[in-house]
Amino acid sequence: MSQPTIHELYRALVSGQLSRRQFIAKAAAIGITAPALGFFLKAAEARAQDEPTPVPADVAAPAVATPCEGDGCLFAGQTVTFLTPNETIQVPIFEVRDEFEAATGAKLDIVLAAMNDTLPNLLQDVANGTGAYDASIIGAWWLGELVEGDYLIAIDDWLADDRFPQWSLDSVLPAIRNLMQYDGKTYEIAYDSDGQAFYYRRDLFTDPDHQTAFKAEAGYDLPDPPTTWDQVIDIAKYFNGKPFGPDGEAGSGITMHLAVGQQAMFHFMTFSAPFVIGPDNPQLYWFSPDDMTPLITSPGHVQAINYLVELSKLGPEAMMAWGLTESWDYFLSGKAAMTFTWGDLGALAQETPERGGKSLVKGMTKTVQCPGTMSYYNIVAGADAPTDAPNIVGNTTGGSWAPVISKFAKSPEAAYYVCALMATEPKAKAYAARGFDGVDPGRTFDFPPPDGTGNIEDYVKAGWDEQDAKDYTNAYFQTFSNPLQFPYLRIPGTFEYWLALDTHLSEAMTGQSSPEDALNAAASEFEDITERFGRDLQLDSYKRSFGFE
Amino acid sequence: MSETTAPDSIGSTLGAPNTARASRKRDRTRWYFIGPAIIWILLFTLFPLLYAIRTSFYAFRSGKMLRWVGFDNYRNLWEDEALRSDLQRTIVYVTVVVVVEMVLGFLLALLFNRQMRGVSSLRTIMVLPLFASPIALGYLGKTIFYEIDGPVNRAIEALGGNGIPWLSDPTWAFVAIMIVDIWQWTPFVFLVSLAGLQALPQDITEAAEVDGASALQRLFSITLPLMAPILWLILLLRTIDAFKVVDIVISMTLGGPGRATELYGFYVFRTARRFFNYGSAAAQGYLLLVIVMILVSLLWGRIRNLYEHDVEAR
Repeated sequence: MSQPTIHELYRALVSGQLSRRQFIAKAAAIGITAPALGFFLKAAEARAQDEPTPVPADVAAPAVATPCEGDGCLFAGQTVTFLTPNETIQVPIFEVRDEFEAATGAKLDIVLAAMNDTLPNLLQDVANGTGAYDASIIGAWWLGELVEGDYLIAIDDWLADDRFPQWSLDSVLPAIRNLMQYDGKTYEIAYDSDGQAFYYRRDLFTDPDHQTAFKAEAGYDLPDPPTTWDQVIDIAKYFNGKPFGPDGEAGSGITMHLAVGQQAMFHFMTFSAPFVIGPDNPQLYWFSPDDMTPLITSPGHVQAINYLVELSKLGPEAMMAWGLTESWDYFLSGKAAMTFTWGDLGALAQETPERGGKSLVKGMTKTVQCPGTMSYYNIVAGADAPTDAPNIVGNTTGGSWAPVISKFAKSPEAAYYVCALMATEPKAKAYAARGFDGVDPGRTFDFPPPDGTGNIEDYVKAGWDEQDAKDYTNAYFQTFSNPLQFPYLRIPGTFEYWLALDTHLSEAMTGQSSPEDALNAAASEFEDITERFGRDLQLDSYKRSFGFE
Repeated sequence: MSETTAPDSIGSTLGAPNTARASRKRDRTRWYFIGPAIIWILLFTLFPLLYAIRTSFYAFRSGKMLRWVGFDNYRNLWEDEALRSDLQRTIVYVTVVVVVEMVLGFLLALLFNRQMRGVSSLRTIMVLPLFASPIALGYLGKTIFYEIDGPVNRAIEALGGNGIPWLSDPTWAFVAIMIVDIWQWTPFVFLVSLAGLQALPQDITEAAEVDGASALQRLFSITLPLMAPILWLILLLRTIDAFKVVDIVISMTLGGPGRATELYGFYVFRTARRFFNYGSAAAQGYLLLVIVMILVSLLWGRIRNLYEHDVEAR
């Protein structure tokens, strides 16, 4: 919590929003509170759990449930304890609390945990069978860990039960729906839909001067949108250092979040997908389904990491230590021409300083499906496979945060009720359109015709620029509906495999090892992890999670 | 005889049980005082230690004990290259931060061990970082070392230099986390050294001064030898603590770029809390315990020698 406060204070001074006197006064306040922080940290956390983030009335989700009376209160006297990461994703849970309590007679206790502590807390609870939490928001990569441990309740039987608020599993686009299910059963209730899309500055790409200069430099027209990563590298080379930043300062070709231990491996997954996945190899990316041999040293992976390292040189050096917020802020402040990241950025781009945000790129942010390649390495055939059109692969990289019900829940049905309530169409539409709560669109009613049954007006009402919203919804519909999808790993130990990849990627990006050595080292760690977990058990989980015969 | 034996017999019949009862009561009373400490040690020291030993013999999957693996987790310690490099990095880290903190803290204590205007306020300000949560200082460090428009880089650029890639460059990131550690813990050395300096007998120093000893001679021949037991103790405490550092790494770098700032404590933390591999984490914890115990034994032996030498000298 202290980090953004101090960051923002300093940036406010630098950008002239704060006078030196105000800065000193506020900094002194932070200085005085810092020592106290250590002593009162726990108390502060406890207080924070009772303070929901306020939701402006004009973007509040509509009420769906009817208040109950007497015997009509289904879960009177029960308490639902809901564990959630202390991120914006918790906003709807606080927002729905009063409505849920009035409709069921149950009480909703919300427990906030740091993002990285949510799964450990949940896992500790279920592994010991304590049942302290009835429901929890989880990232999709945790599902294998939790289902294989037999810790979750499958919700299929409740989906059509009219005691609960009704939501349709079919309304979830196929790629996201797959993440909610494991081995043929549904465990997650629809909530957030994550996938990385490609964002770039519409104003720069349509500027005739830039178009002419780019053609002179690259020898072909500035592609709008870019459809291959080759083009992206050329465009990044062109824009890097050009004075398109605020007040004419030099901008960067691209920005990425490459800090270790955060989300950098997702960049590699999205980026490398079309180098490995293609029409003749829709699924083999991580391991061989015969013996769990890692596949990440394939020529396709190697080519991808070399390209990504090259691309990383066309942005600020500081991004090697950036998490999401730093990279997003950089793009929002108009200092980067391109990036590829999650749906949150599209929504944040609409949050101008007048609306309390930081974006200087509202109305200039175009979103498209992530670019592809003109050939990929087909692991099945062991050969390069050229394609006539760009080989573009959809992805669901990220968390796609969604609630699950613990097998040890003391009030499982009441817990499902609150989750189902948030999944109803009127609420889910509102969450996705307003964007600031971190719930990204992924259901048919989030997308305007002809893709879905939604409408752009909902986004415009929530503060979006109309063109930005059209591009954004179209990009995400294409990303999640693409028949070719990046294979999302969900077996036990997924995070450990990913972190090994993440760490060695960082070594390659910062010149500590060659890209090839980095992938070899990651593959070697993959083998160690598989051995430790038990190769047969991992192979079995891998096959079942992907539906391999 | 009867007059003299009667009391004895009374004593033997009445006094003995009284004595025994009193002795039993004394025994019980003793347990009331010692009991809580014993329970504390059993519950919070011995039990976790024993439980960790048991844990270290198991493999885990999805948070559950999967199977007995004997000494595999310990064997893996020697085969784990990442762990070995983290241990080497940690030794460098501990050596640098502890030496710098000791030197800097002691010099500051010497500086503030005099009557100056506002000295008590300055002393209070000096020790403030000590009371901040390490995680908060880590985040503060991340802000200070922020590469684009961060305070440190802006200052360097204002002086005509180029900004330093504090967190994105492997070497500088390692320097950055060491600076934050030094920032937080130098005040500890300062505080304890200052207390030690103020307790030193002044007459010896004054006598030396009268005899014409220079300030440096007084420092090396009187102050430092007298302060040696305290300084060794500080060294011991700081060394133990520096080996366990986790918070600064979590808040500043998460071990990156690559593994450039991955320290042993962080490695153990991550094995347990992020990978749920409690068996390996327990074995890693025991390895750290052994390393620290060896160091403590060496340092403690040195301290004891100093004290014994001191006592013998008297």
